[in-house]
Amino acid sequence: MELEKIHYDNKIVKAFIIATVIFGIVGMSVGLLAAIQLFYPIANFDLQYTSFGRIRPLHTNAVIFAFVGNAMFAGVYYSMQRLLKARMFNDSLSWIHFWGWQLIILAAAITLPLGMTTSKEYSELEWPIDIAIALIWVVFGINMIGTIIKRREQHMYVAIWFYIATFVTVAVLHIVNSFEMPVTLFKSYSAYAGVQDALVQWWYGHNAVAFFLTTPYLGMMYYFLPKAANRPVYSYRLSIIHFWSLIFIYIWAGPHHLLYTALPDWAQSLGVVFSIMLIAPSWGGMLNGLFTLRGAWDRVREDAVLKFMVVAVTAYGMATLEGPLLSLKNVNAITHYTDWIVAHVHVGGLGWNGFLIFGMLYWVIPRMWNTKLYSSKLANLHFWIGTLGIVFYALPMYIGGVVQSLMWKEFAADGFLKYQNFLETTTQILPMYILRAVGGTLYLTGVFIMTYNLLKTAASGKFVANEEAEVAPMAKVTSTGGNWHHVLERKPVLFTVLALVAVLIGGIIELVPTFLIKSNVPTIASVKPYTPLELHGRDIYIREGCVGCHSQMIRPFRSEVQRYDPKGGEYSKAGEYVYDHPFLWGSKRTGPDLHRTGGKYADSWHFRHMLTPGEVSTGSIMPAYPWLYEQQINKDITASMINALRTVGVPYEEGYEDRANEDLDKQANRIVEGLQLEGLETSSDAEIVALIAYLQRLGTDIKLEKVATNQ
Amino acid sequence: MKRIIVFLTTLFGLATAGFGQTADTATTTSLWDDPMLTFYIVVGFIFVVVVLVLLVALYMLQVLNFMVKQATRERSERLGITYQEEPSFWSKLWDKSNDFVPMEKEKDILLDHNYDGIRELDNHLPPWWTGLFYVTIVFALAYLGFYHLSDTLPLPIKEYENELAVAEEQARKMKASNPVAAIDETNVTIVTDALALADGKTTFLTNCASCHRKDGGGDIGPNLTDEYWKHGGSVQEIFKVVRHGVQGTNMIAWEGFISPEKMQNVSSYILTMKGSNPENPKKPEGEIYTPKPETTSDTTKVQASL
Repeated sequence: MELEKIHYDNKIVKAFIIATVIFGIVGMSVGLLAAIQLFYPIANFDLQYTSFGRIRPLHTNAVIFAFVGNAMFAGVYYSMQRLLKARMFNDSLSWIHFWGWQLIILAAAITLPLGMTTSKEYSELEWPIDIAIALIWVVFGINMIGTIIKRREQHMYVAIWFYIATFVTVAVLHIVNSFEMPVTLFKSYSAYAGVQDALVQWWYGHNAVAFFLTTPYLGMMYYFLPKAANRPVYSYRLSIIHFWSLIFIYIWAGPHHLLYTALPDWAQSLGVVFSIMLIAPSWGGMLNGLFTLRGAWDRVREDAVLKFMVVAVTAYGMATLEGPLLSLKNVNAITHYTDWIVAHVHVGGLGWNGFLIFGMLYWVIPRMWNTKLYSSKLANLHFWIGTLGIVFYALPMYIGGVVQSLMWKEFAADGFLKYQNFLETTTQILPMYILRAVGGTLYLTGVFIMTYNLLKTAASGKFVANEEAEVAPMAKVTSTGGNWHHVLERKPVLFTVLALVAVLIGGIIELVPTFLIKSNVPTIASVKPYTPLELHGRDIYIREGCVGCHSQMIRPFRSEVQRYDPKGGEYSKAGEYVYDHPFLWGSKRTGPDLHRTGGKYADSWHFRHMLTPGEVSTGSIMPAYPWLYEQQINKDITASMINALRTVGVPYEEGYEDRANEDLDKQANRIVEGLQLEGLETSSDAEIVALIAYLQRLGTDIKLEKVATNQ
Repeated sequence: MKRIIVFLTTLFGLATAGFGQTADTATTTSLWDDPMLTFYIVVGFIFVVVVLVLLVALYMLQVLNFMVKQATRERSERLGITYQEEPSFWSKLWDKSNDFVPMEKEKDILLDHNYDGIRELDNHLPPWWTGLFYVTIVFALAYLGFYHLSDTLPLPIKEYENELAVAEEQARKMKASNPVAAIDETNVTIVTDALALADGKTTFLTNCASCHRKDGGGDIGPNLTDEYWKHGGSVQEIFKVVRHGVQGTNMIAWEGFISPEKMQNVSSYILTMKGSNPENPKKPEGEIYTPKPETTSDTTKVQASL
């Protein structure tokens, strides 16, 4: 057999690695800022571009899509070429992919602080960027499939299976969740409303974790861990079984983010049971990783690369056991909306993704620069400081989450809530927030140490842009032997189709009935579309990221109904959200739930509270929103807002868009006159007026229903 | 490694101690007043001692184990036999429960796969892992059966109704046995004992101070320390305003948020602030309140309490 000389493209890997390190530092620094803002509200700087509500999505997008995303591409491009014995399909596509992705990140870094957001978690970017993501993702896919097609290795290794699953599933998730109706160039409304929007969003959100943060990283683990340990992979059959069960089961688990909400019970139960069934498939990956180290544990003690990988895989195992346990209803009742969830995702993010990335970088950079690691001492220091950082991040958040949740639920002997004032439960856990920031600082310090170490390493070697390899061409006659799966590994197209089918089943079974069967969202006659002024207010609520700290979903618990609607006694119903494009249920209560806030306080209370929250509620950690009093709503787009919403199904009558601004002015003037009586002056076009209108409308329609039935 | 763990625990211990103290200053109910404090300290102390004893015991066990091994090794060396360590019970159990193929037989299960130098073994699935998978599948089927095919376990709304039923039963019992649960504006009286007024003050600081200021001098809401009242200054009238709020103003209804007893306490506390002359008070609103003859006795009681 004649050997062929080929060159692996290291330059593209280098580019993605540089982006990884830069955005890692940026994303984590922004996260640290957000962490500090939570106990030191002055760090919001009274500036709209730096207030927590806009900083939080900037942090999540930066670490997920820029840091973890770029590292994923670096890992995939490095390992795939070698596993398939082929240079990437097309160098131009590689570079379009690289620069396209960086431009998307740049667009995110500009639009998110400007408040351009869809408010859907991990999918905040507005529609033009959504389209760009879809295009670049397809470029990545073509480049990947192309490389697989022209491979010189007959069978596809398990890492490649995971890359394929990643590509097809993320494409489906992103496209389905991003159906939205543009209003302006950077403003759109979700095509789905309320319960349906919530289900689609968490089907997406959960599987973004699964197929963006998990499957590609499992693939990378399957390449870099056996390479670094120089050991054979523990079990081929375990790979097969855990791969297929993982991708099939994962997709069903989204509804566990919506337990006890207005989501239909059957969907909630599916979310619970599939989450439980996910334990073994996830642990299959952990076991295959850890058992691969059998016989190499003595080296784990010295080698920082292996240490990082061991902690990464262990963190993966912990997080994937914790996740299913959090999906049990009785556990979820306590942990949902609390900082426990924040701790949970950070064990995954800092431990699994972060540490696997660090391990990979320490292993790959000396090889790409044809040298030795500059300092293994510094690498070990990074390891310990990072581990300490994770512990300091997670433990306080676990404690804080449980403490706060128990305070929310505690009744005094007289049958009333013991901590009736929400703020008491917040101030109680502020010390935990401080500790969390300490943990974050430690972790970030580690990243700086790594950056220095890697720069020094690169400087001591010479970069190999095109790594030479001698490979045999793929045998013409495909072997006929092997079990059925081994045969499948020779057929990339069939494999891709089967993976797609596996991930589509769960999604279709959960989504389609929720959309088609009416009884899943019982209607409430008194629930009416928002007025034009309220719509503007709602857009401001979305822009400022209020949903990051305030839920709009009162669960059917006595403690929540008592806290949020003691007089009406209503938990949140599915029918109340039918005109909510997008839904704003939220997933974290740093502040109280707002679904029944309408009519609870006077307009003037809101007016003062948004300006000086810390004075109106002493000790409040909410940022101030002074710009809402200076900026004016854009009445020119009222008509397009009405039109867009009508297109997605909100029943505004024909021609209403032309009269909408008259109604808007009337409602605004009423509010302004009321405020004047209290001695508060403001223009009727000020954003604060619209926001007050929206807040006062929240959750009030259902009360009219009661009045109607009583009469 | 050990040093780091020790450092970590100390640091964390210090930090949580700080947590207690900050919580103390942040909330009005002091941690140090908690009657359970001694209990917590004792339990915490016992816990720490138990952990320490366990650690020492474990360490001694390790040392002992090491010494025994050392002795056996020396003896076998003296006898000229090559020393081979007997695998521990746990490591045997571990190997067995994972169904590991022994390392020395590994080449028998090495597959002919080779991807960029990565080889693959064909180890069995760990039996406990397969078992776990089956158990979760059975759990899933049973879960769906119990919740959706039979009515054995309550779905969320039913669960809520059950919770409400229990709470209502409790409330009924309490109303019957405890008259303070049935206070309303017709039978509210001024309370004067220090404990009740302290409770009233706590309620005032957590709920009322955001609009009426900590000293009652008024901000969003009116000054509560002067003689002027918008809706009457008797305890009944104040209670009524607290309970039902005032439509069209910032005063919200507190019924349901706080218990009638607490509303009585806070109304009484508000009356104790009269004449306290805080700095920078809000200008008077409403009219000068003169008590009606039948409430005179109440007012004298208040003055007596001051």
